Amino acid sequence: MSEPDKYSNQFGRRAFLRGTAAIGGAGLMAPLLGGRALAAGGLTVTLADIGVGDPGGDWSKFAEATGNAVNLVAMGNAPSAVINQLLAGGGLKTFDIVNIVGGMQKPLAEADLIAEIDTARLPNWERNSYINQYLAPGTPGFDFIGYDGKTYGVPTVLQADSFAYLPDITGELDSYGALFDPKFRGYVSLEDNYTTAGQKTALYLKANGLAEIEDPADMTPGELKTVIDFLIEKKKEGQFRVIWSSFEQAVSLLVSEEVHVMDCWEPMVFVANAQGKNVKYAAPREGYLLWAMAAYLVNNPDRSAEQTEAAYQLLDFMLGPWYGATITGLRGYMTNPMAPEYAAAHPDEFPADAAARIAAIDKGVQDKFAVGGTWQNRWPTEVDLYEEEWQRFKAA
Amino acid sequence: MTVLRRSNLLRLVVLGAPLVLVAAMILGPLAIMAAVSFWKKTGLTMKPAFTLDAYATFLGGVRFTVFLRSFWMAVSSTVIMLLIAYPVAYAVARKVRPDLTRAVLFLFSVPFLVNYILRTFSWADILGRAGAVNDALTGLGLIDAPLNWLLFSEFAIYLGLVTAYMPFMIFPIWLSLSGIDRRMQEASWMLGEGPMRTFLRVTLPLSLPGVFAAAIFGFVGAFGEFAVSSILGGTGYQLMGNSIVSALNVINYPLAAAMSSFSVLIMFGLLLAWFRLFDLRLFLGKIMGRS
Repeated sequence: MSEPDKYSNQFGRRAFLRGTAAIGGAGLMAPLLGGRALAAGGLTVTLADIGVGDPGGDWSKFAEATGNAVNLVAMGNAPSAVINQLLAGGGLKTFDIVNIVGGMQKPLAEADLIAEIDTARLPNWERNSYINQYLAPGTPGFDFIGYDGKTYGVPTVLQADSFAYLPDITGELDSYGALFDPKFRGYVSLEDNYTTAGQKTALYLKANGLAEIEDPADMTPGELKTVIDFLIEKKKEGQFRVIWSSFEQAVSLLVSEEVHVMDCWEPMVFVANAQGKNVKYAAPREGYLLWAMAAYLVNNPDRSAEQTEAAYQLLDFMLGPWYGATITGLRGYMTNPMAPEYAAAHPDEFPADAAARIAAIDKGVQDKFAVGGTWQNRWPTEVDLYEEEWQRFKAA
Repeated sequence: MTVLRRSNLLRLVVLGAPLVLVAAMILGPLAIMAAVSFWKKTGLTMKPAFTLDAYATFLGGVRFTVFLRSFWMAVSSTVIMLLIAYPVAYAVARKVRPDLTRAVLFLFSVPFLVNYILRTFSWADILGRAGAVNDALTGLGLIDAPLNWLLFSEFAIYLGLVTAYMPFMIFPIWLSLSGIDRRMQEASWMLGEGPMRTFLRVTLPLSLPGVFAAAIFGFVGAFGEFAVSSILGGTGYQLMGNSIVSALNVINYPLAAAMSSFSVLIMFGLLLAWFRLFDLRLFLGKIMGRS
């Protein structure tokens, strides 16, 4: 099979038959065959997404391959938004998949809002070496897609966060210490999020021996208090200019030079660069805040087997090369290892510069994962205390 | 007699239907909120109970400080807004030609044609270190370095609140002022009082129902505000709205309900006090009586 063929029409019936013939194992074939036989097309899969998973509204490849359509609806990323939309908003009955930042399996699975994923029904799961590499059971990364030994999330995006800075003003920076350096007093901004800003601060304090923190991803009440006390001290010294709370606000703060060092997401740097501003994303020696987006299958007991199969088809499509390349190109996040290969092999769909950019983003995130750091914890053990302590910081 | 009965029945239906609707759509949710504030949070959900845990967390923690700050911010910004809105409303009621009044009042509603969040964000651009105000002041040689306190400060929050809610307050004050019988002022003048004492002893007291209606608009808006403090407040300036949203983010509905119930209770107490001190029916009567 030529390289381009490897990626073409993975949902075609012939391709499926070829694939299943090659697999040969009856145990694996049965669910695949059953699924394909059930998926008759003409269905609409409702995908609730926080904005990252939208391939520019183009679901034509999925529609061509399966005969099914996608209904994309907006969803907030905050746990309350997810819960509210699934329960109070009727999402449990109307959504098939929710694609949000992962790590929410514990609250969602315990409330029976999401279903366990049968990975055997996703041909692209095995092809995605990043899952084994970064999210395998028994590793911290698994907490972004699994809970209690079961897999609940399909990883659609992988990323490692640090902070941004304006090198023309600050010089080169390679430590989270820049966020707390008196040299930049009044020109620093943090994200309004205890699982990002709080955790990066904990990583900095631990890595530099400034506090005893066993696991920055899941701090004890005492450790958390240490981190928040440190942040309050810095806040009272006037270290922070603003705590940002939206993408546009963060980009604007960088572009206008209102702040020079900012705890933020890498795509903000891409947007600021596109607006002509020299902004860099740091490679901190303390490591990165690692995270993944997870597409969860909503646990709707009334959903038909055909509809569930269509949802699985979409999950598999989201693990696929075209979708991955498109999302990497649009959002700046790593998706799956087939994405850069697909982009390079399809100049008609991804011009050379776009393919090069996708490959560079993919390589960049892989390099960051090689450095490591701490996995973001969206739902720490003491989540209520985290929220209360973050309130204390903000109100100080 | 039958006609009278029919008339009474009609009145009952016409007045009763909105009352039932209000009760169902406003009092119902308020009652649910009050009940939930006593429930127990259990992980992601909650279960019916009668516990004061949420109130203890609220009143015994940093959130009560946020409440006091919100209260002070709402009171002080309402006073500032009144000090601006009253002269504006007075000028519109007394100085603007009657045929231009509607056009002028329409101008005060123009800001509302722009999305509220966008308006608030635009202040961040205008007031920033590299914003138009600092640029102008630096360009004119009035300052050597950009003023940091223009943005991400209490000043910025006051500015955001005033520009967001003050225009709402002009209308009830104007309505109140324009409904005052001018013969009262003329009588005061004829009895020898000057313009200032006439204003203080005649015009101002007669316009108070409108002033207090306006104060309610401003106070309630400022107290429940969360976007202005988020966007213009800087280092996590917290008002009650932000604190309630934050509790909801970790699905702590009892805590959010306790904070909301407490706030509603305080508001209700203030409204009762206002009603007792100032007969708002005078103001409402003017609205109803106007052609």
